[in-house]
Amino acid sequence: MKTKLILTIIASLVTTALYAFDPPPVGSAAPDFSLTDPKGETHSPSQYKGKYVVLEWFNPECPFVKKHYGSGNMQRLQKEYTSKGVVWLTIDSNAPGSEGNLSADAASKVMTGWKTRQTALLLDPEGKAGRAYGAKNTPNMVVINPEGKIVYEGAIDSKATPNPADIPNSTNYVKVALDESLEGKPVTTSTTKPYGCSVKYK
Amino acid sequence: MRLAVRLAAHAIVCFSIFALESQGQSQTYEGKQLVKAELLADTNAVVPSKPFTVGLLLRMAPGWHTYWKFPGDAGLPSELKWKLPEGWKIGEIQWPIPLKTTDPGDIQTYGYQDEVLLMQEITPPASINDSTVKLAAEANWLVCEKICIPGNASLQLELPRSVTSVPANAEIFARYRRLLPRDWPGAIVATANWKRARSDLRLNVKSPTLANYPNVDFYPLPQGDTVVGHPQLESRSGNEIVFRVPLESVSKDLSSIQGLVVFAQRADGSERAAWQIPTSGIAPVKSTASIPARGIFTFLLFGFLGGVILNLMPCVLPVISLKIFGFIQHAGQSRQKILRSGVAFAGGIFAWFIGLALFLIALKAAGREITWGGFQFTNPYFVLALSVIVLVFALNLFGVFEISLPQSATRGVLGWTGAQGDVGSFFQGVFATVLATPCTAPFLGTALGFAFTQSPVIILSIFFAIAAGMSAPYLLLCAQPAWLRFLPKPGPWMLHVKQFMGFLLLATLLFLLYVLGAQRGLEGAIWASCFLLFVSIACWMKGSFIVATTSVAKRFVVFVLMLVLLIVSGVYFIGGKFHSTKLASANSQLHGDWQAFTPERLQTELEQGHSVFVDFTAAWCLTCKFNEASVLESAAVREAFQRHGIVKLRADWTNGDPVITKLLQQFGRPGVPLYVLYRGKSEKPIIFPELLTKSIILDKLETISRTVASQ
Repeated sequence: MKTKLILTIIASLVTTALYAFDPPPVGSAAPDFSLTDPKGETHSPSQYKGKYVVLEWFNPECPFVKKHYGSGNMQRLQKEYTSKGVVWLTIDSNAPGSEGNLSADAASKVMTGWKTRQTALLLDPEGKAGRAYGAKNTPNMVVINPEGKIVYEGAIDSKATPNPADIPNSTNYVKVALDESLEGKPVTTSTTKPYGCSVKYK
Repeated sequence: MRLAVRLAAHAIVCFSIFALESQGQSQTYEGKQLVKAELLADTNAVVPSKPFTVGLLLRMAPGWHTYWKFPGDAGLPSELKWKLPEGWKIGEIQWPIPLKTTDPGDIQTYGYQDEVLLMQEITPPASINDSTVKLAAEANWLVCEKICIPGNASLQLELPRSVTSVPANAEIFARYRRLLPRDWPGAIVATANWKRARSDLRLNVKSPTLANYPNVDFYPLPQGDTVVGHPQLESRSGNEIVFRVPLESVSKDLSSIQGLVVFAQRADGSERAAWQIPTSGIAPVKSTASIPARGIFTFLLFGFLGGVILNLMPCVLPVISLKIFGFIQHAGQSRQKILRSGVAFAGGIFAWFIGLALFLIALKAAGREITWGGFQFTNPYFVLALSVIVLVFALNLFGVFEISLPQSATRGVLGWTGAQGDVGSFFQGVFATVLATPCTAPFLGTALGFAFTQSPVIILSIFFAIAAGMSAPYLLLCAQPAWLRFLPKPGPWMLHVKQFMGFLLLATLLFLLYVLGAQRGLEGAIWASCFLLFVSIACWMKGSFIVATTSVAKRFVVFVLMLVLLIVSGVYFIGGKFHSTKLASANSQLHGDWQAFTPERLQTELEQGHSVFVDFTAAWCLTCKFNEASVLESAAVREAFQRHGIVKLRADWTNGDPVITKLLQQFGRPGVPLYVLYRGKSEKPIIFPELLTKSIILDKLETISRTVASQ
């Protein structure tokens, strides 16, 4: 058990080093990380092996993030898929002092105020998880399958605008990827160009 | 001083804005003005039908930026939606060269700081009713500093209608026009080559201009669903620079992307210029194996002779006399009636061959639409496919296996020929040709393969010639039945002719292997040959184990075994070994005093005042080989080149080098051969005909030296 953990850590370190800032390609093993939520509990993708995991990069100040939360679109997705057993991890990788960085208190407030429905909102002020996944935008979406492989990464949907009115007319790539995966089908659109604000790294 | 000029210019701009009554709008955020947007025109009035330029001027607060057409890792391109009156036309946004910014986390974005003018050409209709024109547009942008704020404005531009106009806002339009990327310069100044290596694209730029700029970068403009990573500078030396562009989306057949090669004198990019990567030049050319206009007669002659030879094949020759005797009997010795039957019979033959040609043309047209990858000799897989066809038919001629028509087809055909008169003769002509397929297939198949690279007109002409050749004996003998006695009698000699023809096909195969060798090196030729060996074994299996009496079960087993053999050897030798062989170096064709052609080389030689002769050639181009052997390498021509001090460069197009493709296109040629003599930087190059003779070259060289001497 211990050796397995060590191997995983070494593997993730190697992966992190290899793909310094480039996103790991679809089909490769999802890099592991360990982050805490506002309550101080730690979460990592490896602990959810056997389940589908969604990673969502977050910045409450970003107009593109507000587009999906203000319209209730993101909360609906979170609710629908967490009820189907999918683990949804929202990650804030913005550095302290920059726009969008959240303290534990502020994060709890955003969650209750916005009525979010994710499994956990994780704080990544060092930007470790964000860099491991090459996440450059908010929102930036990743879907990991139960075997721990990345099956989707990129934008949340097909209309790269900050305008909530575009949501009904766009294709939600994350929804499609999850629906296809849950039906046991391969993901048709597995890589897209994410859009949004840049992640403010340290 | 400079500041004063700039202030003055600024004042003029402000003044003209007022004069034009343009209404600017501001985007404010927490009481601070972030972006000021307004529309400008480069004219003081609208003249019907006369295009002018409008521009969206965005002025950003210090530290804030808006984005380029391709924003990079974050951001959105600015948008402009025009509401124009009926009949007005608007062009694409002309994006000035952006600045690249890299933020922590390796976030690269392309955008504009302080100020940008997004220009568009606008064309008014021929008649304008109103005396004042109102042009309205909705602008959308995303402006970012640490945070990003979307902004928008409804803007309007009012211009009087007039019969004449003078330029307005000249300074700012001129400034931003200078910042527009330029079209790619000619291949002599700079070349851009794309190569695909797994999930990376490599862009190789060669140009003497590169040496003047310490900072050279590639800004990608991916289209559609393409997702690219950050372009990396892979290597840089002197006149050559290589960028690596990782592809993150799964686009298998992408071989190039659009983008800009950006030059800057200073690292902050303040003095920048850019060239747009040409993407059209990289597309494969359509027909490549060109036939010179005069050469087409040679091909027609060969087609005709081939058609005549078809009559000597074992399954055709006995038919001739039988047919003619049949016509004679039906016609009751009336010369005219015999001739008419003969003509109808020949008509049937023509119908069959022209049908084949049309089928081939249709197939080719369909192939072009779904882009099978180009049926051309620059494609080694096309050459390989042709080798397989030629080998299989050679084996057929040697008697390793037989090509048999299904029995039902044969019976049906015989039933149809029952019709009497000229119609009957016509169909007999068609069916005699169809029934002769087992003997004619080896030649027709080969001809079909080669004809695939040609234009529809040439395909039709060649097949017409074959039909003419094949029907010639019938026509001749119907006109003069007495000549029947000159017809050779069928006998074992026909088998010898057939087998001898097999060797001709093997000779063709050798030529094709030579081409493969030139493209993929000795190794490539050997791996291809290994596959051909297994193809031969499969043919032998069909010939040895499948005869007319073979049971269905056994047939099935043999076919499955053949298929397994072909697939396994195909995957191993072609999919694996052959596929991984590298492109043979272009210098394989160099010998003697010829030197490798590169656009830079040509440029340097011309700058040094030398005349340069360029031989555009390819290993598979027979006309090229003929010209080289009989003219260019002849003692007289070599001596003349030397005497006139002409530098000889050879441009090898065996593998379809895109730089050479582009040059060929500039000369309006679909392929090689092409012979060009450059006499200096300013002189127009002299183009020689495709079929060279010694006297053409020698005479031209004499005239040139005489004009030079008289100047």
